[in-house]
Amino acid sequence: PSDMASDVPYSFCSQPRSVRPRPKYREQSNAAQTEKGPVRYCNIMVDPRVVRGNVLSVRPPPPQSTEPLSTLEVKRQRRAQKQLLARKLTQEEIQRRTPEPVKGREHVYVQTELYLEEISDRIIEIDGECQTDDFLDRPPTPLFIPAKTGTDVATQIEEGELFDFDIEVKPILEVLVGKTVEQALLEVMEEEELAQLWSHQRAFIELRNAEFAELQRLEEQDRRIREEKERRRLEHLEKLRKQKETAEKIAARAFAQRYLADLIPSVFNNLHNSGFFYDPVERDIETEFLPWLMSEVEETLQKKVLGRMMLDSLIRMVVEKRLDEFSHPPPSDQTEVPAEEPRATDAAPQVSDEADAADQPVAEKEETDQPFAEEE
Amino acid sequence: MAQPRISAYLPPDIDPTKAALAFGRRALPKLNEELQSPELLTQQRALMALCDLVHDPEKVYQAIALGFLDSLKTLLVHQDQTVRQKTTEVLSIMALHSIGREGLIRSGVISALAGLLDDPVDICRKNTHQTLDMLAKLPEGAGGVLQADLIPPLVLKLKTELDEIQELILDTLSNCLHVEVSKALAAGAVPVLKEKLSHPSTAIRSKAAWVLLEISSHAEGKIAVCEEEVIPELVRLLEDTQPEVQVNSAGALMFAIVTPQGRSSAMGAEAIPPLLALVAEETSKARLNAIKSLTLLAELPEGRKALLDHRATFQRCLEDPSEAVQRAAEIALDVIDWKP
Repeated sequence: PSDMASDVPYSFCSQPRSVRPRPKYREQSNAAQTEKGPVRYCNIMVDPRVVRGNVLSVRPPPPQSTEPLSTLEVKRQRRAQKQLLARKLTQEEIQRRTPEPVKGREHVYVQTELYLEEISDRIIEIDGECQTDDFLDRPPTPLFIPAKTGTDVATQIEEGELFDFDIEVKPILEVLVGKTVEQALLEVMEEEELAQLWSHQRAFIELRNAEFAELQRLEEQDRRIREEKERRRLEHLEKLRKQKETAEKIAARAFAQRYLADLIPSVFNNLHNSGFFYDPVERDIETEFLPWLMSEVEETLQKKVLGRMMLDSLIRMVVEKRLDEFSHPPPSDQTEVPAEEPRATDAAPQVSDEADAADQPVAEKEETDQPFAEEE
Repeated sequence: MAQPRISAYLPPDIDPTKAALAFGRRALPKLNEELQSPELLTQQRALMALCDLVHDPEKVYQAIALGFLDSLKTLLVHQDQTVRQKTTEVLSIMALHSIGREGLIRSGVISALAGLLDDPVDICRKNTHQTLDMLAKLPEGAGGVLQADLIPPLVLKLKTELDEIQELILDTLSNCLHVEVSKALAAGAVPVLKEKLSHPSTAIRSKAAWVLLEISSHAEGKIAVCEEEVIPELVRLLEDTQPEVQVNSAGALMFAIVTPQGRSSAMGAEAIPPLLALVAEETSKARLNAIKSLTLLAELPEGRKALLDHRATFQRCLEDPSEAVQRAAEIALDVIDWKP
């Protein structure tokens, strides 16, 4: 067994289990079947079934003890055995219920039941033995037909005895036909209800469509009127704008006219002043004739000046020469002087021929200027 | 209370084409597993059983809570036509319940259905369009159809499909265009609808006029309708023999002639005499729409002149039992008598 148990770590012949608590009341037949609650574990400290006290106190002495018993232990053992005996006796005495027999009498045990029992120590035994025979060929079992017992009885159902078909069939037919007709009625009512619902819905849809169309018509009308109003409003605004523009234009025109009323005269004046309008002949005279005249006059004057200068230089020369001559008498050249003098005199009359009488004071002034210039 | 059926469950094996239903709450989960099985026969039988179960609103609720819609969406593109047909049938029955509709919109079945518009099998397409039609009746459904960009394909299909499917498409379009109209106009819906106005079938004519009504209740729709010259067609339809066609075309006119161009083209098409004829009939449903259209035309000077002679007709409308007609007649009289 230990070899067989080696592959299992632990095995028991009977599994250890905890003992159920002792029920307080006797088991009722029906209660045990109906309720099987969770298994309660009892507290072995207070369980009356567990032995209390020193379980090691009454130990039978081992048959052969290796150590010799000491007298102390032997005495203890004998004392323990005596105590046990004494306890047993007292218990027996307490348990006894029947009183002691009176003097001269004896208590006898008597059976009082209906049927007497023979009480003996020896059990009646009877020996019996059996032995199987050798196998024999077994014949097939005969067909078992039990013997006929009892009496034969026959019965026959005549017509009309069991039931009357016409009467019996009535309620069945009624049920069948009734159920069919009821089913048909139910279906017809359902169809009617459906048709009613459909017509109701149709009426509602018609009403809704009519109202919807009315709504759309009113919307359309409203839209038209609004558009018309908008258009008219815009037209009116346009009209007002144009009016305002025209008024502004008129005002601007009047103002501009007044402002520019004396524009033309002033413009002409300005132009006239700045010389845009000119008489061509006058301009011609001014631009060409007069400059030419002035240049001629200038030339003439220059010639005069030149002549005067020449004259001045001549005079100077002459004077210087005469001064030289008078300072140291030179043998010479009275012919040169008269040659120069006619030249100078030629120049002078030319000059005097051409010059006006008005120019002479000018020439004289220039003469006087010249010597001043020379002197300075 | 009497229940239509004695027992909620039919006797077992009564129909060999249907899968056997598990008991109680296990029925739908088991069907869900069978739907995802790789074997074709199991899927078909499960779908047949599901078709019958889905008539019960509680089962629809349970199915949607269990996530049937995802497996149904994968089955929509199956190769076998029976599977597709039954799947679309299941979806169309689910769309009849409000819980089913909400669940279908939430799980995005609409975009999955978009792929089935070109299916070769007629019944699949018909069921698909039925589903879309029921879904479009909800505002969220209409929004979902618009978002899935289904309007251009639907408009294209109008030209080529069978008549009864065209009716479904027109219903779907009318509900979707109630919300938004630009995509349909971009896909060229108005010329297609103009053709449909001359279709021999009454239902298609009246539904096409209804779709035109929805289109012209939006501003860009009105412009498109005027440009495509649909108004003379609508005026012609006012004299149609069928009352529904008259009602719808009068309604479409009522919206379309709000714009000035619409009004002038209506006057050009001489819309006043047929409208007056409609107003004069005591029991016509088109009375309300006709009165409204005449009110719109009376805002034009020529219209007012013409209608001043017919004030008696409007006076008689004031005694109509419907309150809406009385109000409309009063407004019309006001507009006719208005002087600038």
